[in-house]
Amino acid sequence: MIKSLNPLSWKGAKAIGVASLIAFSGYVAGDSQSAVEGEDILQNRCMGCHIPEAQNPLQLSRISHQRKTPEGWLMTITRMQLVHGAVITDDERQSLVKYLADTQGLTPEESAPYRYVLERRLNHVEDTGSELKEMCARCHSEARVGLQRREQGEWEKLVHFHLGQWPSIEFSAMGRDRDWFGIALNETVPYLSEQFGLDKKVWDDWQAAEKSSLAGSWRLAGHRPGKGAFNGSMTAEETARDKYTLTLTGEYANGEKVSGKGEAILYSGYEWRANLNIGEESYKQVLAMNKSGKELNGRMFLRNQEPLGIDLQAVRADESRVLSVSPTYIESGKTVDLTIQGVNLTGNVDLGEHIKVLKTTGQTKDTIQLKVRADKVSRAEPVTVKVGEQKLEDTLTLYRSVDHVEVTPAYAVARVGGAGGSQEKVKAVFEARAYDVGDDGVAGTDDDVFIGIMPAQWELQAFDEIAIRDRDLEFAGEIDRETGVFTPGDAGPNPDRKYGTNNAGRLKVVANLNTKSKSLSAEAELLVTVQRWNNPPIR
Amino acid sequence: MKFLKPVNPKAHQVDAAMELDKESDGHLEEVVAMQSVVGCTSTTDPGWEVDAFGGVAGLCQPMESDLYGCADPCWWPAQVPDVMNTYPDWDKGADSAGNDWRKLGEVFPADK
Repeated sequence: MIKSLNPLSWKGAKAIGVASLIAFSGYVAGDSQSAVEGEDILQNRCMGCHIPEAQNPLQLSRISHQRKTPEGWLMTITRMQLVHGAVITDDERQSLVKYLADTQGLTPEESAPYRYVLERRLNHVEDTGSELKEMCARCHSEARVGLQRREQGEWEKLVHFHLGQWPSIEFSAMGRDRDWFGIALNETVPYLSEQFGLDKKVWDDWQAAEKSSLAGSWRLAGHRPGKGAFNGSMTAEETARDKYTLTLTGEYANGEKVSGKGEAILYSGYEWRANLNIGEESYKQVLAMNKSGKELNGRMFLRNQEPLGIDLQAVRADESRVLSVSPTYIESGKTVDLTIQGVNLTGNVDLGEHIKVLKTTGQTKDTIQLKVRADKVSRAEPVTVKVGEQKLEDTLTLYRSVDHVEVTPAYAVARVGGAGGSQEKVKAVFEARAYDVGDDGVAGTDDDVFIGIMPAQWELQAFDEIAIRDRDLEFAGEIDRETGVFTPGDAGPNPDRKYGTNNAGRLKVVANLNTKSKSLSAEAELLVTVQRWNNPPIR
Repeated sequence: MKFLKPVNPKAHQVDAAMELDKESDGHLEEVVAMQSVVGCTSTTDPGWEVDAFGGVAGLCQPMESDLYGCADPCWWPAQVPDVMNTYPDWDKGADSAGNDWRKLGEVFPADK
């Protein structure tokens, strides 16, 4: 059980004085419940306030007119407990999240545009539409809205709830200079109803679709910024319906080996959530099963340091697939060792007309080690890796020289923390992406070719004159010169700073690459800011 | 700003931003808002993570000096627990945010 993996620690409960009300543990864990048990919990714990509208299955006011992700339902039930005094045990809450996500969840297509928030990609910059930017996304993510489906009346109630719960919404910026309430009801609600209406048929169709158990062996491939490529395997044993125990082994490109165990639950027929202990660290997997049931995609990240994690792909071990290649770029005219990883790799290796396989130096069913020689080329070109009938595209590049470098994320936020406070420091990690700019010699045009993520030497600089004046560089934090991982400064007022201000700052993150022909550099903006105390899974 | 004269750096920034806002046809605020990473607030009067100029120098910092002045009226309720309605006891026993900030807890269950 996850309880034993990660004992409950709800620091806020003490602060808000409701520790006796509930003792949370992970909703990931918990026994799979039948629909009857879910209905029982609805009846026993929710019907005191929500009015029955139908039976078999039980339909309750408000609840039955919405659909959400598992995280969305978790946040709703938690709010019922915190704000409205709902009494529900942690086991019941886990079961209810599962029941509601299974009976009133989102389809894979509906959650697809917003997976970044579920996967805790905290430095994703939302390209929010103008309809929601000022009315919703000025306080929280657009994803928080887009991951819900409601009838029009429910969207209206959400507006009323917002104004009642947070009345200053009409007085803060982008609220006071307009008829906020009128716009919310007359423009935003119709827009939300059209874009994110309840649309039961879509959900009914997904529920009726055939789905497969995720038990069995999985091959893993991924990439962790700051550490590089990751390959591994995972075994899932189904202990109850939609509940699994996991064993995982893997290795990073730098040779670091990892192994661990954990537990997972499948929600809504495709939403995979797992907690794993790997060495001394605790990880969460947020993955989505594809329609074939043969592949999971998403992210596996540190539970107490969400910016650090692996972009992860899992493919059933009985498939045949090329998953990764290392290195991901080969320089023109060079002879190098190349490793292809995948599942059940059979057949001849073909790397195109410009890369010759000189020798196979090792082969298992999942790994092929080669010595290859690249022809001399004048411009970078993507290389398709073929093994028998299987191929991997957009991963390997043959290149002549690096013309241009970009740092990702181009804009990031880190947060001070630690120093005895309740919030961990929130780190940030950066990578240098190398490009051939093409015949036009101009970066950012259509003929650019992405070469790969290359090692860089990292440094920080003050962002502007204000940052120099406030000595941000001295206080805001440090970056690892080799890995690009930034660790912010301590939380709390700092008496060594002017006005005793926090260790916030505005910095440039600079990547320096030394290629054989030239030195290149690129920079990103990093805002080191203060902590937040409200950290639900959907921000 | 006809009758007001900026006398400190922050006021000069406000002044400069207003001029820039005029030049950019009033789109300065939106540009900054677009730069907000997911979950950060673009309510910047004042801001929590980022100020109206895209930096941190214009924030109320140390934030502990005025934390409750903004937490009470729910200025950034998605980031800072609002004690007006949702978390009335969040700051209980932490009367001085400057001295007691370590007592301020996370309001969402840690295991999520």
